[in-house]
Amino acid sequence: MTETMNSNSKTLTSPFEDVCRQWHQSAKNLEVFNELLTRDAKIAQTPKQVIWTLNKAKLYRYTPQVHEDQRHRIPLLLVFAIMNRPYVLDLRPGHSFVEYMVNKGYDVYLLDWGIPGPEDRDLKYDDYVLEYLPRVVRKLKSYTRSNEFSMLGWCLGALISTMYASLRPDDGLKNLILLTAPLDFSDKEAGGFTKWVNHPSFDPDRVVEAFGNVPGEMIDAGAKMLKPVENYVSNYINLWENIEDTSRVEAWHAMNTWVRDIIPMAGAGYRQLITEFYKENRLIEGTLELRGERVDLGRLRANLFNVIAESDHITPPCQSEGVMDLVGSQDKELFRVRGGHIGIMAGRGAEKSTWPQMDAWLGARSD
Amino acid sequence: MSEKPETPNVFDPFGMMKNMRDSNMENWAKAMTEFVNSDSFAAAQAESLNAMLATSTPFRKLLEETLSKSMQALKLPTTDDFVRLAERLTNIEMRLDDMDAKLDQCLESQH
Repeated sequence: MTETMNSNSKTLTSPFEDVCRQWHQSAKNLEVFNELLTRDAKIAQTPKQVIWTLNKAKLYRYTPQVHEDQRHRIPLLLVFAIMNRPYVLDLRPGHSFVEYMVNKGYDVYLLDWGIPGPEDRDLKYDDYVLEYLPRVVRKLKSYTRSNEFSMLGWCLGALISTMYASLRPDDGLKNLILLTAPLDFSDKEAGGFTKWVNHPSFDPDRVVEAFGNVPGEMIDAGAKMLKPVENYVSNYINLWENIEDTSRVEAWHAMNTWVRDIIPMAGAGYRQLITEFYKENRLIEGTLELRGERVDLGRLRANLFNVIAESDHITPPCQSEGVMDLVGSQDKELFRVRGGHIGIMAGRGAEKSTWPQMDAWLGARSD
Repeated sequence: MSEKPETPNVFDPFGMMKNMRDSNMENWAKAMTEFVNSDSFAAAQAESLNAMLATSTPFRKLLEETLSKSMQALKLPTTDDFVRLAERLTNIEMRLDDMDAKLDQCLESQH
């Protein structure tokens, strides 16, 4: 009799227990979800030290992990864009491009442009390319006692690196890696940005006049609006669906921390980007001048590895491809990767596709 | 071995809803991406930005001028003062960097 009662109560309570368990789990997940959206992940963990500063810019050297005898002779300088933080290159331990390259025996340096203040509103590409970068290169060469170096530029960092490589071909730049480089704006229909800024009603001068430096929020909203559903809806639904998957959640959290860390862009640099590059395509037309010096891509002689993201909606492939026929490099290679603007370097597949390819190309040219 | 094609389980209403949501989301995402890449969106965005700037800029300028005048009246430094100071500091930093470069050259020539 007692046994029958116990078994009945079990069958009665177990559906309620299930509901309660699910409820409890949902509440817990909601708490995690909220925490992920509001707290920063621990990122940029690879050990490093500052070896040079100027204004807001800093040059970091990552602590080598490989014995000097096994290290590549030629140091590698990483140059990221001016409107985002550069630690996307060192996102989190075990999933960091910097850590990967350091472990492969490269002496890695990172240029952080810093966060522009109101006093930097007049900074232009002329300054980045001919004032800051040459000083960084000088420090890098004196610090490493190497007359040669490799440079990796990503996004607008690739634009800056390309102009530098064309204007200062004798500075010792041996290898140049370009990642999703926005260089050729001849196709005015390619990508949302190009369309938006080429519209006759869009006036970058008014933006700069109003704000001084262009607010990070505006740049961030522009980038997200290129794929609104993915960025504003799917991104969070995917997180919710995978909230119990620790490795996915950690990856999402690190990336979201980087995405949320928005910074302004120097006003003059923004105006120049829109007018001289997006609208007038001066670099490719051969009419671009920085501080009175004409930027001639034919003078770029460094070995070139140009990486293109096939699904890039920020820098469509056509904006990077055209440069291959214009540079003077003898050793040049165009490498296409499946993925988006950021995903090819910071996505889950990067360590199996993009990074090993870059290491193979660079390794063969770094000793 | 070839994989069996996924067939929706009709007895799983949530599974069907999930599939519906996924397929709709994909279509929605495509439609929105096409929309933001259109000329009409570019025009609307530029016009709304112009309208926003036209409305807010005079107020912002007025606020900045008032603040600046108040700070001056109180003999406190204004944003412009800090900007000028920061620019001078950057110039000094550049000169120091030039000296650092010359020092490096001297040291190198001694080796």
